[in-house]
Amino acid sequence: MSLDKKLEKWQQQKLPKWLKDHPESKERYKTDVGIEIERLYTPCDLDRRNFDYERDLGFPGEYPFTRGITPTMYRSSPYLVSVYSGFGTPEQSNQRYKKILDWGGVDEIAIAADLPTQLGYDSDQVMSKGEVGRVGVAIDSLRDMEILFEDIPLNKLKRVSLLGNSFGPIALALLIALGRKQGLQTSEYLVNLQNDILKEYVARGTYIFPIRPSVRLATDVVAYCADHIPHWYPINICANHINAAGAGSTRATAFALANGMCYLSHLLEKGYHIDAVAPLLTLFLDERADFFVSVCNFRATRRIWARLMKETLKAEKPESMALKIYAYAHGGETMLEPMNNTVRITLAALAYVLGGVQFLENASYDEVLGTPSENAAKIAARTQQILMHELGITNTVDPLGGSYFIESLTHQIEKEILEEFELVQEKGGAIAAIESGYYTACISEGASRRQRAFENGERVAVGVNRFRTDSEIPSGAFRIDPDTETDQLRQLAKLKKERNNAAVKESLALVREVAQSGGNLVPPVLEAVTAYATIGEICGVLREVFGEYQSTEYFQASPEFS
Amino acid sequence: MTYAEDQNGEFKRRNQEMDPAVDCIMKFPGLDRTDRKIMNRKPRVLIGKVGLDGHDVGARVVARALADAGMEVIYTGLRQSPQQITHAALEEAVDAIGISILSGAHMALLAAVRQAMKQSDLDDLPLVVGGIIPKEDVPGLKALGVWEVFPPETPTPKIVEYFKKLVQPS
Repeated sequence: MSLDKKLEKWQQQKLPKWLKDHPESKERYKTDVGIEIERLYTPCDLDRRNFDYERDLGFPGEYPFTRGITPTMYRSSPYLVSVYSGFGTPEQSNQRYKKILDWGGVDEIAIAADLPTQLGYDSDQVMSKGEVGRVGVAIDSLRDMEILFEDIPLNKLKRVSLLGNSFGPIALALLIALGRKQGLQTSEYLVNLQNDILKEYVARGTYIFPIRPSVRLATDVVAYCADHIPHWYPINICANHINAAGAGSTRATAFALANGMCYLSHLLEKGYHIDAVAPLLTLFLDERADFFVSVCNFRATRRIWARLMKETLKAEKPESMALKIYAYAHGGETMLEPMNNTVRITLAALAYVLGGVQFLENASYDEVLGTPSENAAKIAARTQQILMHELGITNTVDPLGGSYFIESLTHQIEKEILEEFELVQEKGGAIAAIESGYYTACISEGASRRQRAFENGERVAVGVNRFRTDSEIPSGAFRIDPDTETDQLRQLAKLKKERNNAAVKESLALVREVAQSGGNLVPPVLEAVTAYATIGEICGVLREVFGEYQSTEYFQASPEFS
Repeated sequence: MTYAEDQNGEFKRRNQEMDPAVDCIMKFPGLDRTDRKIMNRKPRVLIGKVGLDGHDVGARVVARALADAGMEVIYTGLRQSPQQITHAALEEAVDAIGISILSGAHMALLAAVRQAMKQSDLDDLPLVVGGIIPKEDVPGLKALGVWEVFPPETPTPKIVEYFKKLVQPS
């Protein structure tokens, strides 16, 4: 008898008897992404899906890179251990950065900037009042970057990261100029920028300018790096925030891929060859609800990316097809009993490691409550190190490869990602998906569905909707120094007096000129940043030239129509 | 149903059908809250985000839940100034305002919102807040004139019940 006939026999004869006395806890085991998980996976599932080892997996470091982007993965190159940190004034964050480096084994610092900085406002502008130094460090100028990295040469770290989503050229310029102040060539250190404006409009909210000028800013950064600093990482295209906002990881990955195609098409239009720019892109993937969906999301996305680059965009270099993945581990964090989050974050990170991540960051267990405490941030970094060096987790490449479950789920997720991706492309691509409200509709609908799943207990949050005691959300969350805003304002006033204001004025005029004429904005912005023009001043000029994004978010929800 | 499951374009049709509601409401600019109550119109709530923080998942989930519960909801989008909030509250003749803040700047921002409300003669309009608000700050916010503060992980039905009691004529 063939295996599938034996399987059928087992399902029809053995199983019903067993289930009568041992009913399963649910009728269907649905995941956050809507995929149903089966009771059992066998070689029959692989046959059904026409699984072919060489075509679908291949060897690591070779097309389609499903098993990993290098032949030896962590045996040769551990993933980078990263810490996202920043609060208060640059002096305060400099102290914290020094402590982080004292822990040992931290490869990357990702600078968390406050909301005024992220939105292109100086600390002394009206919009910044009450927000300076809260969710990140206040950065107004190159001077603040110098203070932030005082006694920390940029080449002491394996990589330095800055978000810069709404003002890519300024973020890049700050890190080039800082290196120069430290006496370094760009070849001597490594920089990573998130620089992904498209997702901001629908999932993160730190946009400034309208869509098309913003895509230009983002691609100017990639183009400049392709020309001058090709070993840097000028853009992380994010599925993370889109998933967190409600989309579900398959949709979020699909939307990120569509956003990636948008950036790439702009670069190709600027005359860049695909192999000159694709290797500079990374994807920031995320899944917080299901361990195995998370692993398979990475494997499927690598396979999709490789095929997209080779078959659709005609890339020829393996570096263009081998997708580098960044991830920030969260799990389903709760505010009640926050220590439990250490477990969730560890398991989420484990899934990322088993999935083959290149750059890993862990949330701190108290990050849901506010800025992480030092101890919690240390545990987050130690977790990454434990996963790398203990328990044999990283001793082999793609340890879950070949599992009937994993290969079936990878295949299923790949199909769904591609379907969602094609849908976006059919609607006209990422920009159309934003402007038509499609992305937002998918995200909102997913968020409501998730909320209902928590509230009816379908999705469990231990300590919150299951096994809940009378614990309360802990008080005493990290508070920034109350003098932060006044200190920062004082420093900023000092800078504006001491710098060469004529040079600043001239440099801003050049920024305006190039913004209007359409050239690459990185060189004039670099000049302005070097002359100590502030982020607010440079963005002020760009706001005048490009305008600000007018959200069409003002919606009405009426019960007749819901 | 998901957008993907939506074979007949019903989701899209629903979104399009939302527009007539806008026209309908805008045609009665002079309708204030008392008139609407007399005319037995549905209660209206403004949900807004003040300050620079860009995460609006919670605000949208609450907006949707209130709409599903039979209220008309206007969601303002991100980065509204206190003046924009009060202007919208007046224009739309709402029965309550719900504000979401996650950036930690709630004390300064809500003081400014209350000030703007007083100046626009909306001092008695219910104001409710949700977001990342430490427990220790709640008394201070209530002293400012915030009616209720919903901490994170408050079940949505609890928020809906609260608003229902707030906006239904007694």
